[in-house]
Amino acid sequence: MEQIEPFAEGFVLALAPEFVLVIGLFTLMIVPNMGDAKFRIPLTQIRVPWLFGGKRGKLDSDPRLPGLFATVFFTIAFGLSAVSFMGGMNKTQIITPGGTTMLQIDEFSRMFELIFFGALALASAASVNRLPATSRADRSLNGLYNNRRQVDFYILLITTGLGMAVVALSQDLFMLFIGLELASFSTYVLVSFIKESKEGTEAGMKYFIVGSVASGVGLYGLSLLYLWSGSLQFADLSVAFAENGMEALPLIALGMLLVGFGFKVSAAPFHFAAPDAYAGAAAPVAGLLATASKAMGVLGLLRLLLVVASPEATEGSAVWLVALGVLSVITMTWGNLAALGSTNPKRMLAYSSVAHAGYMLAAITAIGALNWEEGHVDMSNDAALVVVTALIFHLTVLVCFKLGAFLVLSLLESEKGGHTLESLGGLAKRDPFLAAAMFIFMMSLAGVPPLSGFVSKLLVIMGIVKVALLDVTVNSDLVFSDIHWVWYLALLMVINSAISVFYYLRVGLVMYFHEPEEGREGPLPKGMPVRFAIIACLATTIYFGVGANQLIALCEAAANALVGAW
Amino acid sequence: MAGSGSSEIVHSTAAQYAPYILLLPMLAFPVILFLGKMFNGNKVWKETLKEGGLIALAFMAASLGLSIWLISDFIGAYGGVEKLSDWTWFTSSMWSTGVVTTEITFGFGVHIDHITVMLLFIASFLCLLINTFAIGYMNTDPINDNRNHRFYAEFVLFCSGMLGMVLADSFLWLFIFWELMGLCSYLLIGFYYERPSAAYAAKKAFLTTRVGDVFLMVGLAMLWSLFHPYAGVGEGGLDYSVVFYEGNIDKVAASNAGTLAWALGLMFIGAVGKSAQFPLHVWLPDAMEGPTPVSALIHAATMVNAGLYLVARMFPFFAVDSMHGELADLAFIIAAIGGTTAVMAAAIAFVQHDLKKVLAYSTMSQLAYIFTGLGAALYLANTLHWHEYLPDGTKNPDYYVNHGIVIVAFGAALFHLFNHAMAKGMLFMASGAVIHEVHHAHHHLHPHDDHDHHQEDPEELLMLANYLQDTGQSVFGFFNAIDLDQSGYIDTFEFQKALKEANIADLPPWEMQPLMAALDMDGNGRIDVPELELTLGRIHLASLAGGDDHHDHHDEFDAQSMENMGGLASKMPLTATAMLVGSLSIMGFPLIGGFWSKEGIIANTWRVALDDPRFFYPAMCVLLGAGMTGFYMSRMWLKTFAGSPKTDVAAHVHPTNTWIKTPLFILTFFSLAGILFASMGFTHWAPDIEYGLMSDHGGLWGGFVYEMEHVFANEKMFFFILTYVALFIGAVVGPGLALSLYGGKLDEGEEVLPWFGPVLALNQLVKGRYHWDNSSFGQSGFATALENRLYFDHYYDLAMLKIVAAFSFKAAEADSSVIDGTVKTIERTSQQLSTKLRSLTTGSARDYILMAALGTLGLFALIWGVVA
Repeated sequence: MEQIEPFAEGFVLALAPEFVLVIGLFTLMIVPNMGDAKFRIPLTQIRVPWLFGGKRGKLDSDPRLPGLFATVFFTIAFGLSAVSFMGGMNKTQIITPGGTTMLQIDEFSRMFELIFFGALALASAASVNRLPATSRADRSLNGLYNNRRQVDFYILLITTGLGMAVVALSQDLFMLFIGLELASFSTYVLVSFIKESKEGTEAGMKYFIVGSVASGVGLYGLSLLYLWSGSLQFADLSVAFAENGMEALPLIALGMLLVGFGFKVSAAPFHFAAPDAYAGAAAPVAGLLATASKAMGVLGLLRLLLVVASPEATEGSAVWLVALGVLSVITMTWGNLAALGSTNPKRMLAYSSVAHAGYMLAAITAIGALNWEEGHVDMSNDAALVVVTALIFHLTVLVCFKLGAFLVLSLLESEKGGHTLESLGGLAKRDPFLAAAMFIFMMSLAGVPPLSGFVSKLLVIMGIVKVALLDVTVNSDLVFSDIHWVWYLALLMVINSAISVFYYLRVGLVMYFHEPEEGREGPLPKGMPVRFAIIACLATTIYFGVGANQLIALCEAAANALVGAW
Repeated sequence: MAGSGSSEIVHSTAAQYAPYILLLPMLAFPVILFLGKMFNGNKVWKETLKEGGLIALAFMAASLGLSIWLISDFIGAYGGVEKLSDWTWFTSSMWSTGVVTTEITFGFGVHIDHITVMLLFIASFLCLLINTFAIGYMNTDPINDNRNHRFYAEFVLFCSGMLGMVLADSFLWLFIFWELMGLCSYLLIGFYYERPSAAYAAKKAFLTTRVGDVFLMVGLAMLWSLFHPYAGVGEGGLDYSVVFYEGNIDKVAASNAGTLAWALGLMFIGAVGKSAQFPLHVWLPDAMEGPTPVSALIHAATMVNAGLYLVARMFPFFAVDSMHGELADLAFIIAAIGGTTAVMAAAIAFVQHDLKKVLAYSTMSQLAYIFTGLGAALYLANTLHWHEYLPDGTKNPDYYVNHGIVIVAFGAALFHLFNHAMAKGMLFMASGAVIHEVHHAHHHLHPHDDHDHHQEDPEELLMLANYLQDTGQSVFGFFNAIDLDQSGYIDTFEFQKALKEANIADLPPWEMQPLMAALDMDGNGRIDVPELELTLGRIHLASLAGGDDHHDHHDEFDAQSMENMGGLASKMPLTATAMLVGSLSIMGFPLIGGFWSKEGIIANTWRVALDDPRFFYPAMCVLLGAGMTGFYMSRMWLKTFAGSPKTDVAAHVHPTNTWIKTPLFILTFFSLAGILFASMGFTHWAPDIEYGLMSDHGGLWGGFVYEMEHVFANEKMFFFILTYVALFIGAVVGPGLALSLYGGKLDEGEEVLPWFGPVLALNQLVKGRYHWDNSSFGQSGFATALENRLYFDHYYDLAMLKIVAAFSFKAAEADSSVIDGTVKTIERTSQQLSTKLRSLTTGSARDYILMAALGTLGLFALIWGVVA
């Protein structure tokens, strides 16, 4: 393990992906504002080109420029993270001169950064010419064509990315919270970015209000924890929790933090603003909320529940076990049932993402159910590794097919569709590629083999079953009544998956068997960057299904970094 | 899948790529389907890419290339060793009894031995050739325009099913691919699904084979329950490495020999269904409704061989000492079913007029030969002591002799499988070429009779047009009058009512469909005013122009009937040659293809009959069948190619195109090369792991001498006589009868290739001297029974109607009220719940925060509850 103080030797290198994003931030601020302005040296007639302001050139006033820049920077950050991940990870910590650990770079954080940066790169690529720059039909949207406004959009995307990276790296609840808020505030604005539309503004507002309440509760919990232990370091908190975690103060704090993160992963009943936000936001942004933002919430939950209030700390099973189990049951059932009747595909996907949150909570619950008494630790460690691997795998492939589905909707959005299921009608005739892609995304969401969605669901269910049967089967026959109740979570997941097939398949039905709506018979806009992003999603959806083993290996390395650190 | 068994894992480079042999065609399936949908009707797609035919060809060629690489690698470097290679989908550690972190592997393994290699070659090679043929056959017929991509897509999926079944390393995967083939055969037989007969045939094939498949599934389940206790870590209970491991079979035999026999027997029923044997044979003749390349694919290269492959795979169970004598009854059943089918199918083939149907019955009969041969070989393997050591551990004195007997018996059956696949693939393609050209000639001569029946205007519409004319109604007024709901469109119901009220016709809804289709120009399922006006106007005009006369010579010309052919030897020389060689191979004419294997099967069945009198039945059957084969194959060739043309159409047939000719040409050589394969020791090599090609008997020439000696100058008097009896019956009596009845001289001035000279001269000679009148036989009750396929279909239908249908009605009732009712209730309740839940999402942030607050309180309560 290497420890580096800020701005000491190796600091920049260790945080290279994050610094690339910072550079991107400044580039985006500066480049689109460069013009032919000249500076006259006082008292002379000499004019020196000064570049800031004045009339902008053709290149830097191109509305597509910011999007391309952002895509490139996200891709570089993604590539750097990947290189540092694959090329033999060296665990690195950023510490303050006082010796407090602030950030830690390991396989776990890098894996999550890959998820974040990958999703952001795809979303920004998909937004490059979401609003075609040539069309001037709707004057009220003209503002958006202006690339300065586009710049705002991508600057917010980059700050989202930075915030998420901080969450991934943090070793300190406070750092984590800062990152979380940076990312959250950026997404609040992104949701309501199309300020001309009533839905967008309203959705953003609601998302912001409910989000701030949740954050406020979480922050309060944080302060209680600080009050209790005097430190917000994960390592310190973990020790303190193991010693006297059963006191009232840390438990209240834990409950409050659960609320904060529960909102981020959109667990019921903290999810209410999510369907509104997804429906009101532009599709790529909604896709981000459903994938990267959710991964960030899960990351926070993992840190909080498995590291801070770790199940090892308490005898038998974790203190939060029942609470989380109930939360997961409500969440997955609510999400699936609500999605059944939704006719707005974005709301449907929002509810499906609530259901997915339920599945992930179930997986975390299973870890909480593990027995950490003497003599069981090795087995429990193995089991926990399997479950965390499944969880990370799930989060990774979610970027492929859930974001992919939103990107397909984003193409429909550019012709003012995508808000009703019927606007997908006849898509198979209008654009066979898009329809096929959407169908595969839906199949993957429903968990049809051999797509990655199937593998992810199977891994999660198998992990839970494994945990449930762990204690029962050591040298004895299976007795049904001895099985741990988390087994029922797996059963419920299977039932819920069966329900979900209904609404996923309905999309296919509409695309392939319904006639196009009137006025939508023609071909869809070209939008090459979006299509490119969709192809990337499609390829990975299939590849991570068929060649799942490779991704599982990566996820296992990441999970090992977390589990090994307990 | 660590090989705990006798099989040794060898990782050759070729084996690493083996999964791609089946993955490539499987990949081609969506590609062709998708591109076909996208570019349907596009000129480049249609003419340059042959609607996907060339894409399929490229994938199949790649697949064949990989197969040949694997085969040559196998024969060359590792000959005689079983190999396994693994392609893991994903691995996850998971709970298993007592052990916590058992690795569970979800993957597909490849099992390669001699049988695999042989069938792999047959399947990939013939699939490629049939694909080539299909491009020439399908793409030149306008009836297939713009839907060939569907054919090619289903074709490649079918091929991948077959290749996967052959390569699979467990009975489970075998079953999965087996079913994939079943699905594809359903789709392909029903390719012309708009014809009721094709739809019926597809259904029949699917359902009949399904009967067998149910038994197969039960058999496999039994096999699994027997073997899974012995499966090691990471192995499945149906993996070959588990079930074929001698130690495991010994353990099962010690406790459950009877159950194992039952399991194998049930699996054999699955094979009976797939390979169309008595009594599940009824689907195969009807399957001729599919396009000819499909017939060639199903009846030669692939599906029917699957059943044989399954039975051949059972060999290890029969071979082990611990099952000694336990499975003799099953072996007899296999041989008896084979013998019965062989004679029955040959008899039915006597009276068929349809070229493809003769071949279908011939297929059935030849497959039955192979089953008989397998039955005999399995009997020998089960009852002889043919291993190097006796069960008590002493050296076996009869090892050399008995080993040779078992191996050759098994090898003969496998060799016949090979020969038959090559010959029958060729025969079907040749028959396809004939049908194709006869059809085209007919089309050329009678251009009016095209098969666009659906283009014809329904009579009712003409009556309607006349009715409007007579009553002086305007179309618009009529339209408004019948548009009951004033929607501006007429739907089926409204139109039906209008026709009834106008006293034109009272049709049930399903018969309304053609009428609606004729009127519905934009295909949206409804009719608007312009559509009605235009169509009726056109029909009225057409009737005034008196265009009804083209109905006059609308004779039902059947391009597949041999009654419409004759004398084609001079018109289609290459096809006639191919057909001749193929027929001779099937007949077992000396030195050509099937001769070598057929003699082996007959000899070995008789060898068993000497040992076990029960086997006299199959032995007599195959001997009789040899003569019958000689008769119907000769009859088919003579009726088609000799004599003078029976119709003016047959007189105007032209040679066929290159796409069709190429595979015929190649396969002719393969059928002729039977002698070469025999000399290479194919019959020893195919069944015996330790035998290398050409390793015994001193190379190719030595092998040739050995085989010739063995066949024509057997030192055992019994087999010496048997050989010549079989030869006499199969190559003299059978063909002789056909020569005396059918064919004859070609028309004057027709040029033929030199090798037809002797055949036609012989025909003329025999027919001139020994011609006799067989019409009395033709009118006999037996011939009628044969023409009705011995009433099997009739009684099956009757049984279906009486028993199954009655039961089905009850089941359907229960289904709609109980099961459907439950499902619908669940669906309705969930939708209501959904609405309720979504109504909680009020849209007001205040409510959201309220809910979140409630949630927070709930969380606290739960945590507190745990702690307290």
